[in-house]
Amino acid sequence: MRFLNKIIIFLLYFYTYPTFSSNNFDLMPIEVSKNVFVFIGDNNDVNDDNGGAISNTGFIIGENAILVIDAGPSYLYASNVIDIINSYSNLPIKYLVVTHHHADHSFGISKYLEIKTEIIMAEAEVERYIKYGNRSLRQLSNNIGEEWFFNTKITSFQYKEKEYPINLDLGTRNIIIELYEEGHSEGDLIVKDINSNTLFVGDLVFGQRAPTSPHANIYNWKNYLDEIIKKDWDILIPGHGNIIKNKEDVLQTKKWITFIDKTAKQASANGISALEIFNKGLPDFIKGYKLAKETWYRDLPILINKYEFD
Amino acid sequence: MAGPFSDFKAGAELSEELSSSPTGKRNTPNSDSIVQSIDALNPKNSEIWYDLQNNLLGKDINIVFVDDIKLIMQDYIEEAHKVPLIVTLPKRLHNFKNFVLIIENNPIQQAMAIKPYRPIEALGMNIRLEDDSPVRAAVLGDNGVWYIGSKMVFVASAGGCSTPACDPSVEICETGTIGKIAVKQYEREAGAERIKLKITHPMETGFVTDVQGEIIPEYFVKNIHVDDNQGPIADITTFAALSSDPVILLDLPKKGQSVRIHAKDSLGLEFFSFKKNNTM
Repeated sequence: MRFLNKIIIFLLYFYTYPTFSSNNFDLMPIEVSKNVFVFIGDNNDVNDDNGGAISNTGFIIGENAILVIDAGPSYLYASNVIDIINSYSNLPIKYLVVTHHHADHSFGISKYLEIKTEIIMAEAEVERYIKYGNRSLRQLSNNIGEEWFFNTKITSFQYKEKEYPINLDLGTRNIIIELYEEGHSEGDLIVKDINSNTLFVGDLVFGQRAPTSPHANIYNWKNYLDEIIKKDWDILIPGHGNIIKNKEDVLQTKKWITFIDKTAKQASANGISALEIFNKGLPDFIKGYKLAKETWYRDLPILINKYEFD
Repeated sequence: MAGPFSDFKAGAELSEELSSSPTGKRNTPNSDSIVQSIDALNPKNSEIWYDLQNNLLGKDINIVFVDDIKLIMQDYIEEAHKVPLIVTLPKRLHNFKNFVLIIENNPIQQAMAIKPYRPIEALGMNIRLEDDSPVRAAVLGDNGVWYIGSKMVFVASAGGCSTPACDPSVEICETGTIGKIAVKQYEREAGAERIKLKITHPMETGFVTDVQGEIIPEYFVKNIHVDDNQGPIADITTFAALSSDPVILLDLPKKGQSVRIHAKDSLGLEFFSFKKNNTM
């Protein structure tokens, strides 16, 4: 009888625990071009429904190897992504490009280390990942629940210091990785798949959504956006939001950062507090962007503070 | 006016955004919070307010809760170690005699007190919030009455006083220099002026433990004297409920000339925004 109880408890455990088994993030890869896939993140703030999976993840399958772009927010997310990739191809996941250190793009790294994937990430961003990672992990766990971050660890890892641009061959599939220093972050990586003429640009470009700028050098970022617009590409995968095919959509990001930067500079020159700007209500300009309010309230004080006592 | 920062009233008005929980904190404020905060702001429902009033403002005082002292701050705070706040005063209180900022649910409930020598229209600071709390600005008018403006604030991650702002067990922290003062003066309309000052200081609360589990002793700026070549502007008493590297903002109706700062901390160190041989 006691044994039977144990079986029942065991079964109940499995029946009540399915939310954290196979596909916790409702991941559905979109094939944007042959053998180039994207998981579009939830275009919302981090919350306890999306488990932090708010940014886009990509993977490219060559004839010998697979490259993944961005690790996502957690071990769990990375595990789910890897399971899905394995269902498309049994080639090894040889490379992971982490476009920058922000949690929603990097916290799945520990899973890729387990499967011996080579991590490609800008040195300055690895430093930030190590320096701020645990703090940010703790905050995220507090805010949306630690079950989302099961096994997620921030540890230093071996990565080869490389000269950019990096050229990789996945097997009749050439990839170029370029470094954009001190733009949206200290070192954003962008990935170009030559065969499909697809560009993965990380958070240098946000689709529809308000760009976040807590670690940004806005002057450089604007120049980089001009460069990205001039580049040759057919498909552009932003760090957040939908796939971009029209160059004008890249300007959305530029317009936002120009506006918030100008507002912050004027405020700091006149000693105006962000609170006083907020009190006047939201400027009409920002209303066309998703997550405008949240981003405006979060980033404007940071920027004003940065310029204020410079 | 809509929006989470529209709270120009001292009452417990929360915005729609807040009720719909934008960042998904567990137990984030929701529509019940409006009821909660109306309750919490009512001093009759507070178990601690009358003790606080006696201890910080004095016994047998005349006290009036008003809604024209505006506490401008966010309803919902993500970073509880550094919470900006601006208090605007109605004209009848520009000649106030004393100002005390009280955070009810903090382990350090008083953030600062200001005794001004000249009229002040508005003031601002960065504070720490341990948890969701009523924040109250108590202003002593020249008629001897204390006027209280209040605002309810919710925090996403509690522990603005008891967790380290930079935790060496989870990140690499850099300690800056102590006692570097920056003063900025900004012109406002009609000859009015805003003074902003910042002092680099850890403002240790005495409630934080280090990696070895030892309590980091309290260590904070205690006094800030603000003056210009016309004489004193304000004496400010400060506590560790102000954030590290505290920023203080004063709006004066008349422009000060070459504003200077002299501060002292709880270990007796003195800091000057000017060369010391210019006697104060």
